[in-house]
Amino acid sequence: MTGNTIDLGELSRLSRKGRRSILASAALAMLSTSTAALAQDANFDPDASVVIGSLYEPQNLDNTAGAGQGINEAFNGNVYEALFTLTDAGDVTPGLVAEQTISEDGLTYTFKLRPNVTFHSGDPLTAQDVKHSIERVVAPDSKSSRKKSLATISGIETPDDQTVVVKLSARSISLPYNLSYVWIVNDAAKDLNAGEDGTGPYRLDEWRRGSSLALSRNDKYWGTAPTNGEVVFQYFTDATALNNALLTGAVDVITSVQSPDSIAQFKDNPDFTVTAGQSTTKELLAFNDRVEPFNNVKVRKAIARAIDDKKLLQSIWGEYGTLIGSFVPPTDPWYVDLTGVDAYDVESAKALLKEAGFADGFSFKLDTPNYDPHPIVAQFLQSELAKVGIKVEINVITANEWYTKVYKAHDFQATLQEHVNHRDIVFYGNPDFYWGYNNPDVVDLIKESEAAANTDAQTAKLTEANRIIAEDAASNWLYLYPQIVVSSSAVTGYPVNGLNSQFFAYNIKKSGN
Amino acid sequence: MTSLDLSTDRPARRHSLSLSIGLALVGLNVVVAILTLFWTPYDPLNASGGRLEAPSWLHWVGTDRLGRDYLTQIMIGARTALIVGTGAVAIGASIGVTLGILAAFATRLLDDVMAATLDILIAFPTLLLAMLVVAASDSASLWSAILALGLAISAIVARLTRILAKRVLRQDYIIASRTSGTSWLGVVAWHVLPNIWPTLSVNFALQFGLAVIAEASLSYLGLGAPPPNASWGRLLQEAQGTVYTAPVGSIAPGIALVALVIGMNLFADGLRDVGDPTRRRSR
Repeated sequence: MTGNTIDLGELSRLSRKGRRSILASAALAMLSTSTAALAQDANFDPDASVVIGSLYEPQNLDNTAGAGQGINEAFNGNVYEALFTLTDAGDVTPGLVAEQTISEDGLTYTFKLRPNVTFHSGDPLTAQDVKHSIERVVAPDSKSSRKKSLATISGIETPDDQTVVVKLSARSISLPYNLSYVWIVNDAAKDLNAGEDGTGPYRLDEWRRGSSLALSRNDKYWGTAPTNGEVVFQYFTDATALNNALLTGAVDVITSVQSPDSIAQFKDNPDFTVTAGQSTTKELLAFNDRVEPFNNVKVRKAIARAIDDKKLLQSIWGEYGTLIGSFVPPTDPWYVDLTGVDAYDVESAKALLKEAGFADGFSFKLDTPNYDPHPIVAQFLQSELAKVGIKVEINVITANEWYTKVYKAHDFQATLQEHVNHRDIVFYGNPDFYWGYNNPDVVDLIKESEAAANTDAQTAKLTEANRIIAEDAASNWLYLYPQIVVSSSAVTGYPVNGLNSQFFAYNIKKSGN
Repeated sequence: MTSLDLSTDRPARRHSLSLSIGLALVGLNVVVAILTLFWTPYDPLNASGGRLEAPSWLHWVGTDRLGRDYLTQIMIGARTALIVGTGAVAIGASIGVTLGILAAFATRLLDDVMAATLDILIAFPTLLLAMLVVAASDSASLWSAILALGLAISAIVARLTRILAKRVLRQDYIIASRTSGTSWLGVVAWHVLPNIWPTLSVNFALQFGLAVIAEASLSYLGLGAPPPNASWGRLLQEAQGTVYTAPVGSIAPGIALVALVIGMNLFADGLRDVGDPTRRRSR
């Protein structure tokens, strides 16, 4: 994985499903569920059916076939497992791997598989299944959004049934992380678009297209048995209908709430629990750093100083959300607090503009996606920047136009967008990315970080890159979305962060009464 | 009072009622729209209020998420609505009446072709047509919305004009007028237009109301006037997420929209009763 890890899948989902998909939060753990979990532990029903309300219905059941984020939400860790697991707290822990050895040069990874693991069909897990599973993600016809990050894999060998040897063409410190979203599927499985054959704690019970996806407990599971008997993902197309379903008890938990104003009805009501974590979704004013006047770092810094991010965040999210000073959320290992860099200061913004030769300001066109919160954010920027003499012309576009005009053709001056991914600072190491930020130091740091010998070295490099992009005001990072999960108070133990859209259901407990 | 007086009195009162309510509602809008050119309670970009404040003396209709005054936005929305309604009807009327009259004079074959084309255009959903025009132009603007709606209206007006004009052209006095040397242009100016005008004007008023709703729909979808030009449709869209916590944000622009459209419809109704001699006689 080098600087050009563009998450194409993520963006094409944007074009297809627009707002819903991109709003999807790959969120990281901040708040633990422990407080709520303690209260209910005593009397939970081990065979309970838990209904999870979601807006993200999968298009099909295969995450290499463009199924959308909904399939990761329903299947990651629940139906399919991977060699490694990305926990809700953001750590990478061994999954189906019992033991790993890394060669001196970092180019050969040897994985010993867990013994006695079987697929839902009854077949045993073998090294061939793992090889097949990785190969289907990197195959030419794979639509996996993660394909490019596995591009350094040059070969996979299977010396025996329990051993997988992965050879790399270049060091890739993120390999275990990247393998955490490669589902291990049975190589004999036929139709993965409408069926499944994984090793997870649940098996697919019934998929009713347009409505629900039911998973039932896998009694032959190798690990700890789930604390419930059945999980049903109930799909909604409308957030209000979803909220009403929770109010009336038709669903037990909502995977992510997208507006602070719909939380009001659940807060301060003892029948519901509201948990707010920090997501990895960042609202960005992205400049086209290639074009005038945004190729001038002083102009970008001036704009960052002219905008009161705190007031904006408060307008959009009320008491929720977090301010960020760069593209890195607090839950990435290379986070440092950079909110002090180009903090809100109108006078110094004016001074910088003058130095840059724009004492009288200038005007620019802001390509604004037509869905919430972008239009309202655009209007806020318009009034803030007017105070330093910059005139913002708001051009409202659709998600599809954004994809073709901004993302593909780079035909824009500035735009608003939210970026959902976890660990995505690497975008700034790719000068061909839509925002065209090109700093050779950052490109090198990001390249070197992937080739680092250990995670400390990787973290050091990326922290450095993080500081540089903040000092360069490569983009203007407005705020970090909160990740809000609302549930009935009878239900506990769900993940609050849904990192990379995951929603592990196996620890959910529902009280028996 | 004799019974004869009563029969003429009653319809007269009816006319004045719908006409005057309609005029009052539309008039209020016009006054507000003109007022915004000189004065609004706040600068529309001024975000000095709190988030979603409830109505108060400072902000009569409360504030939006950014702390901007809703009343100011709604007042400017009235201006946008009037500009769109007037602009779209003006475009629709000029193209529609011209095409309709040409069709009425055309040869049988050409007339048939034009009539069929108009039917197809009318069958095409207005909003879809508007979206196409907006998509074809560089970026969404008030003018692309007006043009799109004007084109949609012109098809309806053209069909109506064609039918009405044909009916007039069949009358004996047209032949009389032609034989006495009046040119076709003169016939149109002296006989056709004055005769079809009462029906057309009622139609214009109705189309005006529809254009206002269509503009609100386009703005709701982000295809209308770009911010900061307030539009009721966009206000509704922006207030959608806060409908439970701050319902006034969605109710107020909704009422403004309904008031103008109902006002325009009542006005059209009254206009028809007053202006259409056939109806007056039939009552």
